Amino acid sequence: MPSAPRRAPRPLALGSPQPPTAGPLPMDEETYLELYLDQCAVQDDLVPPRSPLFSPVVPYVYPPNPSNPETTFNSHLESKETSGDFSSVDLSFLPDEFTQENKEQAVIRSKHEIEENCETQSQQSRLPLPSGQDVGPGLDSSSLSSSRSHLHPGDANSIQSSPEKANSNPSPLASITPMTPMTPVSECSGIVPQLQNIVSTVNLACKLDLKKIALHAKNAEYNPKRFAAVIMRIREPRTTALIFSSGKMVCTGAKSEEQSRLAARKYARIVQKLGFPARFLDFKIQNMVGSCDVRFSIRLEGLVLTHQQFSSYEPELFPGLIYRMVKPRIVLLIFVSGKVVLTGAKERSEIYEAFENIYPILKGFRKA
Amino acid sequence: MVVFGTTFFNFDSFIGKTESTEIIGNPVFSHCYRDILPLMSGSGRFSLGDARRPLHETAVLVEDVVHTQLINLLQQAAEISQLRGARVISAEDLLFLMRKDKKKLRRLLKYMFIRDYKSKIIKGIDEDDLLEDKLTGSSNANKRQKFAQDFLNSVDQTGELLAMFEDDEIDEVKQERMERAERQTRIMDSAQYAEFCESRQLSFSKKASKFRDWLDCSSMEIKPNVVAMEILAYLAYETVAQLVDLALLVRQDMVTKAGDPFSHAISATFIQYHNSAESTAACGVEAHSDAIQPCHIREAVRRYGRKIGPLSPFTSAYRRNGTAFLAC
Repeated sequence: MPSAPRRAPRPLALGSPQPPTAGPLPMDEETYLELYLDQCAVQDDLVPPRSPLFSPVVPYVYPPNPSNPETTFNSHLESKETSGDFSSVDLSFLPDEFTQENKEQAVIRSKHEIEENCETQSQQSRLPLPSGQDVGPGLDSSSLSSSRSHLHPGDANSIQSSPEKANSNPSPLASITPMTPMTPVSECSGIVPQLQNIVSTVNLACKLDLKKIALHAKNAEYNPKRFAAVIMRIREPRTTALIFSSGKMVCTGAKSEEQSRLAARKYARIVQKLGFPARFLDFKIQNMVGSCDVRFSIRLEGLVLTHQQFSSYEPELFPGLIYRMVKPRIVLLIFVSGKVVLTGAKERSEIYEAFENIYPILKGFRKA
Repeated sequence: MVVFGTTFFNFDSFIGKTESTEIIGNPVFSHCYRDILPLMSGSGRFSLGDARRPLHETAVLVEDVVHTQLINLLQQAAEISQLRGARVISAEDLLFLMRKDKKKLRRLLKYMFIRDYKSKIIKGIDEDDLLEDKLTGSSNANKRQKFAQDFLNSVDQTGELLAMFEDDEIDEVKQERMERAERQTRIMDSAQYAEFCESRQLSFSKKASKFRDWLDCSSMEIKPNVVAMEILAYLAYETVAQLVDLALLVRQDMVTKAGDPFSHAISATFIQYHNSAESTAACGVEAHSDAIQPCHIREAVRRYGRKIGPLSPFTSAYRRNGTAFLAC
């Protein structure tokens, strides 16, 4: 049985390597968020909300006695900020067993993303955020133009935030925090979209005999008259793969990037065990689908009227409103019940960002 | 859209009238079309702007009108496909019939594109769908759009039709409908709104087999194919929508407003159809009731069929059969 050639293991070169051994880490995503938001809630009492345009930079004041794990948590954030984009780091050399650690780092990273998004989000939301009640089309032009600026935050906001970061340095506590919130971060929705499906592709880089694979592998279907690929399924992680004779493979059904990668590796190993010199090249996530629930009813007619250029709503065709967000380029399906499905993302952060962008808009069309 | 008299159309008077009325409970349909009827009567028209409990008589009338129009449309389409020498009525025939009215054609095309787009998205979301699609081997990605484009390419002589693809004008009728819906929903509470949303989701394409039977397709020699059926379902929906739009206009016209200089002339444009005293009273009092009355519908159809303008006695248009299609 040929084993895959092992490359020399590289050190974890992901910026400053903080060992993720602080207390709270075995927790999952929700508790991270709660922890973070608890801090914000305390901080809210200390700092009154101000518009970013008119208030001076307010340093992020921590509660007087932060517990240890929290400071460690935040120091992680700061270090992670400099570590660069997670998804651009090539981890293909890592063996599968490494996924646990990657997952933790991914979680930390995504928490950071959420905070950053809350940041930019709350800055942006000052402009178009209508008051809690319903807004009629009388506010059409203003909300349209502001929603356009809102959805093309682009460089303006990020440029704006960096000089503010520089200004916040005087306070000694500020060095712990990577960001300078102008407004209470509880503006942020507090809802995290859950990933439902990830579609990825990988190149096994060798020609495959599909008939042989179908004959020898368990859980494989092959019907050459219908479709020119083998359909293989594994139970852990629960996924389906389409394997083509050119050596390319599509893997669908995983619920996280790591699971998708793990599953793809498992399929590659199966193919390897069948005698083909399979490799694992160009693993790429093609599409990510997330969903969440805002927990209030949404008045879609109002939304389609004010955001005409982005949305289309044909209830006799499909019960949801299709919203095409420009930045990030994500398609959202928004339903009356308050459920939102986000699709078209290549990275997890795009889903979070898109949701944080849409949340204040949805709040404005809340159906009491 | 035909210009209706001289009254300046004004939506505001509708706003106060959208509370639900207790006109009818649930009438028993002894009609043989009882499956389609509830669709069109209660909920369908409610979602298009009628009151919450539309009248049964109106429902019957609307259904009649739509049915007649669709049958005529089908027959004309059949003739055209015979000219082509084809064995099935395809979408091309219907598109050809609609070539005269650009706005409606553009709306239809947009609808087809949205349909394509929606299937593309849904496919990406559900992995089972993705596999299904790969397995069937057809790339349906922009099937309808490509198809429509090819067809219009072949038929277009002046280049106007193709220009519609690039054209990004706002569809005023759709805009009006959206605004009306928005206004209606703003004042609803959440239970009413849920009901409203459900009713908006009704369409003729959901019960495709019943729709086919209703249209009595089996008795025709040339039958429509799948895409043509989709388009027909959409046209039926559009017809109902148009009827509601026009009937609302008519109702608006009938209300005499103080200070309106043409109020004495309104009765001249409105032909009284009913004979019995009861229905006259009903129509006269209707100014305060919400539902659209059959007289509105009849008046709307009558006005729509009438050609207005200096050349009206000389234009023949598409009215060979004497009926003007509301949907195209």
